Amino acid sequence: MVGSGAVLSVWLIEEINMERGYWIKSKPVYTSLKWHEKATSHLVLATGIGGMAVLKLFQQMHPTQPVKVLYGKYGQMDADYSDTLKMVVPEGLHIHKFDDALLTQFQLELRDAQMGLRIYVAGSEGFIWDVVAAAKPFGIQEMEIMKEQADTLARSVYCVHCKTISKYVTTNITACCGCERMLFVRDHFSRNLGAYMGLMVDAESPGELPAIEEIYP
Amino acid sequence: MSTINVKVAAIEAVTPLIKHFTLVHEDGSELPSFSGGSHIVVTMDAEGRTYRNPYSLMGSPTDTQAYHISVRRQESSRGGSLFMHEHVHVGMRLKITHPVNLFSLSKLAHKHILIAGGIGITPFMSQIEDLKRVGADYELHYAFRAYEQAAFVNELEEMCEGHLHCYADSQGERIDLNALLSQQPLGSHVYVCGPSPMVVAVLETARNLGWPENNIHNEEFSSPPVGEPFKVQLAKSDIEIQVPAEMSMLEAIEAAGVKADSLCRGGVCGRCELTVLETDGGIEHHDHYLSDSEKVSCRSIMPCVSRTKGKRLVLDL
Ligand code: FES
Repeated sequence: MVGSGAVLSVWLIEEINMERGYWIKSKPVYTSLKWHEKATSHLVLATGIGGMAVLKLFQQMHPTQPVKVLYGKYGQMDADYSDTLKMVVPEGLHIHKFDDALLTQFQLELRDAQMGLRIYVAGSEGFIWDVVAAAKPFGIQEMEIMKEQADTLARSVYCVHCKTISKYVTTNITACCGCERMLFVRDHFSRNLGAYMGLMVDAESPGELPAIEEIYP
Repeated sequence: MSTINVKVAAIEAVTPLIKHFTLVHEDGSELPSFSGGSHIVVTMDAEGRTYRNPYSLMGSPTDTQAYHISVRRQESSRGGSLFMHEHVHVGMRLKITHPVNLFSLSKLAHKHILIAGGIGITPFMSQIEDLKRVGADYELHYAFRAYEQAAFVNELEEMCEGHLHCYADSQGERIDLNALLSQQPLGSHVYVCGPSPMVVAVLETARNLGWPENNIHNEEFSSPPVGEPFKVQLAKSDIEIQVPAEMSMLEAIEAAGVKADSLCRGGVCGRCELTVLETDGGIEHHDHYLSDSEKVSCRSIMPCVSRTKGKRLVLDL
């Protein structure tokens, strides 16, 4: 048994629409990384299994322009490509244990960078949008950053009620880490927040919840 | 499109070839406000024909008492600029469109690099007012033939203080685009307005240096080129129109009383796009709107600036 009312209908409609191949425009589409032919330098960021996307980039070629690679050893999935990367990228590779340190270095690099620098990122969606957010103060627009989604499909979920973002949500319904409301994870994505909208699911009949399933492993 | 009736309040010869016109509302009321980089289209009723030419507004966007435009006398082109130079006098009434901005400053930019060639300086004059008001970082690079023929250098020096860089061709001065565009901080945007070769050079240099498309802005300052006369058949209206050498196809269509959409009248906005049903000589695309592959396909034409090389053209209008 599920709840009733307006809130419920949102996710019902969404589920039906998804079945029919409906595509929500705000949902980002990611690509496979590929070098920009025209650039004066390249900056590649990746974590965990995203390291494979970096290796694939270097399979394409070693660009003539200067390249820097910032790699975070630990993504969500257990896959550390540090050793291989060290062999493939002899120069300009920086390995970090924590994403925070990686993002700090990223911003330091941007401070002195000039137009012509192209940015590439591979990792979980959460990591990708952390990078986007870190680049924004430097006047870099989201669409200028090439993005490959690797690693978990877990979503960052923005609670429309208390405005808290819960990170790495793998289920269709989740408890908001700010207000503990049960949120339905929508497909509607905000590029500014780097998160999917979360809407209270049992507003009208508290406690009556649809089955919680892991759909973003 | 709704028009505004204005009166010419003053005319000043800025250089032997450039005249500056001050336009005020016919009834003395305020004109609509605009943002830097906007243009208006001036309708001129010459004997026997109507010209509609776009001109950038170069006054301060905060001044709604008067609009300022500058017109360069273009001997070789069609009559619009000649009409403005020879027939427009103080006190004369003209019709203008509401200002439209197809060359606006990016709000996300951290630094603005403005590059002007000749009369292409005009849109930047209103933009500089905007930039100064918000305290934005900018550089203005202004290239012209010779100091004697360059418009507004003194005004600009005063307005821009240290931000102005001038280049006189007669003294062998050139903008080193590669040097200029390879040393700009992240978040820079480049804007260019001037003759075609200059616009192309700036676009190419910026792209080759890896500037993202979003950071590159251009307003080509070209009036419709003169070409060979040809006939155009409008399939839906079922009429045939003769397009004279010195008239644009859009003007000829309008003169025939057929309603056609337009906005920039300079091949930039895409509003006037028409579907080509038939052509016997290929199309001379002069616009900056269609992609290269669209141009090759000859399925669309921008009648405000483009023509056909052949004798006959059939359009879906
Ligand atoms: S009116 Fe803008 S492209 Fe023709």
